[in-house]
Amino acid sequence: MSPEYLSIQVLNGLSFGALLFLLASGFTLIFGLMRIVNLAHGAFYLLGGQVAITVTAATGSYLLGLLTAVVATAAVGLASERVLLRPVRNNELLEVLVTVGLAFVIADLCLWAFGGNPRSLKVPEALTGSLTVGSVTFPRYRLALVVLAAAVAVGLMLVQSRTRIGTVIRAGVDDREMVSSLGINIERVFTMLFVFGAGLAGLAGVAAAGILTMRPGADTDILLFALVVVIIGGLGSIEGAALGSVLIGLLDAFSRLWLPEFSYFAVFAPMALVLVLRPRGLLGKAA
Amino acid sequence: MRRYVGIASTLLIVATLVVVPAWSQRYIVSLFTLTIVTALLAVSVNMLAGEAGLVSMGHAGISGSAAYAVAWAVREQMGLTSQLALALAVTLLVSLLYGLTAMRTSGLVFLMITLALAMVVYGLAFKWSKVTGGQSGLTGIRPPDQLRDPWVFYYFCLAVLGVVLLLLAVLSRSPLGLMFRGVRDSESRMSSLGYTVAGAKLVAMMLSGLVAGVAGVLSVWNTQFMSPSAAAFEVSAMAVIIIIIGGVGASLGPVIGAALVVGIEHWLSSYVERWPTLLGLLFIAVVILMPRGVAGVLWDDRSPRRTAPWWTLLGRSAGAGPVEHPQDLPSADLAEARGRHQEG
Repeated sequence: MSPEYLSIQVLNGLSFGALLFLLASGFTLIFGLMRIVNLAHGAFYLLGGQVAITVTAATGSYLLGLLTAVVATAAVGLASERVLLRPVRNNELLEVLVTVGLAFVIADLCLWAFGGNPRSLKVPEALTGSLTVGSVTFPRYRLALVVLAAAVAVGLMLVQSRTRIGTVIRAGVDDREMVSSLGINIERVFTMLFVFGAGLAGLAGVAAAGILTMRPGADTDILLFALVVVIIGGLGSIEGAALGSVLIGLLDAFSRLWLPEFSYFAVFAPMALVLVLRPRGLLGKAA
Repeated sequence: MRRYVGIASTLLIVATLVVVPAWSQRYIVSLFTLTIVTALLAVSVNMLAGEAGLVSMGHAGISGSAAYAVAWAVREQMGLTSQLALALAVTLLVSLLYGLTAMRTSGLVFLMITLALAMVVYGLAFKWSKVTGGQSGLTGIRPPDQLRDPWVFYYFCLAVLGVVLLLLAVLSRSPLGLMFRGVRDSESRMSSLGYTVAGAKLVAMMLSGLVAGVAGVLSVWNTQFMSPSAAAFEVSAMAVIIIIIGGVGASLGPVIGAALVVGIEHWLSSYVERWPTLLGLLFIAVVILMPRGVAGVLWDDRSPRRTAPWWTLLGRSAGAGPVEHPQDLPSADLAEARGRHQEG
C-alpha cells in the first residue's frame, strides 16, 4: 500500500470518526448526567440530515438548511424531554423504552415525510473539491469534518472544565441529589443538556449527509457505532468519546478495505476486547 | 380476593390458548401461533430480567442466529437432527459471546452491550450473503413433515412454551435460581458470600439464550422465511416492551404482552398505514401510563413483595444516582441463598 493511499484511508477513517464524535459526545453527556441511554439519538441524526437536505434543496442555502436542521432536532429534543421523559424520570429502564418508542416514531415519520430513497446533501462550493498536499489530494469536505469535530471537542472540554455550567454538569455526574440540594435547578440543566445533545446529533446528521446517504435504517446503523464508541471510550467521558471515535473510525475504514464482508467485526472485536480487559471503558471512571 | 382474580385469569388464559384454536379458522390459528412464538422470545428476556435483573435489548440477535442456522441447514438439505444440532451449537456460541462480553456489567451498560451485539448480528446477516442470503434472505424453510399442519404446529409450539415455562419455574426454585436472584438483589453481597457474580451472569445469559434459540427455530419454521429483519433492533425492543406490558418476572406476563401486541398490530395495521409510528406511540403510552404492566395489576399480591420494586432491579451501572439501589434492601432470597450456601 502506497503512503498516498494510506494517508487517504487515514483521512477517511478520521472523518468518519469525526462524525461519530459529534454523535457520541451528546450521547455520552446525556448518559453521564441523566443516566438516560438515548436510543433516539440515531433518529435525531437522521432527522437532522433529512431536514437539511430538504431545506437546502428548497432554498438553495446550505447555511439555512444547517440551521433549520439543528433547530428542528433541538426542538424535538426539548419536546421529548419535557413531555415524554419527565413522567418516568429516575426509572432507568422506562426512560430507555421511551426513547425506543421515540426512535420508532421519528424514523417512521422521516420515511413518510422524506421518502425511502437514499438522499444526500449538496454541500456548498467552498467545501467541495480537494486540497493537494505534495503528491496526495484530500477531499476538502472530509478535512472540514475533522476540523469541525476537533473544534467541538475542544469547546466541550473547555466548557466542562472552565465554566460554571460545566462545573454543575461534572458535579451532577457525581451526585445529582447533592447538586440540587445546593440550590441548583438540576431539572433545567437536564433539559438543557438533552436539547443540546439532540441538536448536536442533528448537526452530526447534517455533516454526515455530505458523505453518507440519509435513508431509512441510517439511524440504527449509526446508533450502533455511537454505542460502541461510548462503550469503548467509557460512558460519560468526552475524552473517552473522542478516543473511541478516532479508534472506531480508523478501524472501520481499514476493515472495509481488507475484510468487507466481516467489517462488523471491526466494531465487535474492539468492544469485546475492551469490555473483557476494562469493563468501564478506556477512559471510564470507577463506579 | 386479588388472589382469586389471579388464579381465575391464569386459568382463563390457559383455557383460551388450548381451546380456542381447535375450533378456529386457519387464519386465527396463525395469529395464535405468532403470539406463542413471539411470547417465547419474550420469555427468554423475562427470565433474564426477572431472575438475574439483567435487561437485554439484544435477544433477537440470539434467536436470529439460531433461525439462520436452521435456515442454512435446510438449504444445505441436512436432516432434522443435524439442523437442530447446528441451531443448538450456534445458539450456545452466540450466547457465550454475549455472556462473555456483558457478564462484567449490569443495568444500562448491559442493555447497551446486548443491543450493540444484536446490531452486529444484524449487520453480519446483511453482509455475509453467501450464508445468509443477504437482504433478500433465505426462502422456503419448510418445517419438518410432522409439523406441516398449522393446527399441529400450533399445539407443538404451545407445548414447547408450556415445557419451557415449567422448566423455568423449576429453575427459579432451584439453588441456581436463588443464586441468580441473589445476584439481582445484591452483587456485592453475593461476591462476599463467595459466589462468582460474573459466572452467574454468564450461566443466566446462556440459559436465557437457549430459550431464545428455541424461539428462533420455531419462528423460522412458522414464517418459512429468514431475513436480517428477524434479528433487527425492533424485534429485541418488542420483546422488552412485551415483558413490560405483561409485568416483569410474571411467568404468564410474556403471553399476555405478546397477545396484546400481536392483536393490536394485526388489528391496527389493517386500518392504518403508519404502523411503526403507532407502535412507537403505543410503546411510550404503555411505559408512561402502565409501567407495572397487566400482570402487575392481576397478580400483584400473589406473593408479598420480597425485594425492591422491579425497576430498581436495573441496579447501578456506574457512578451514583438518586435511584434507590437494591443493594440497600433486605432480601428474603438473599437470606435463603446465604443459608443454603452455609449448609453446603
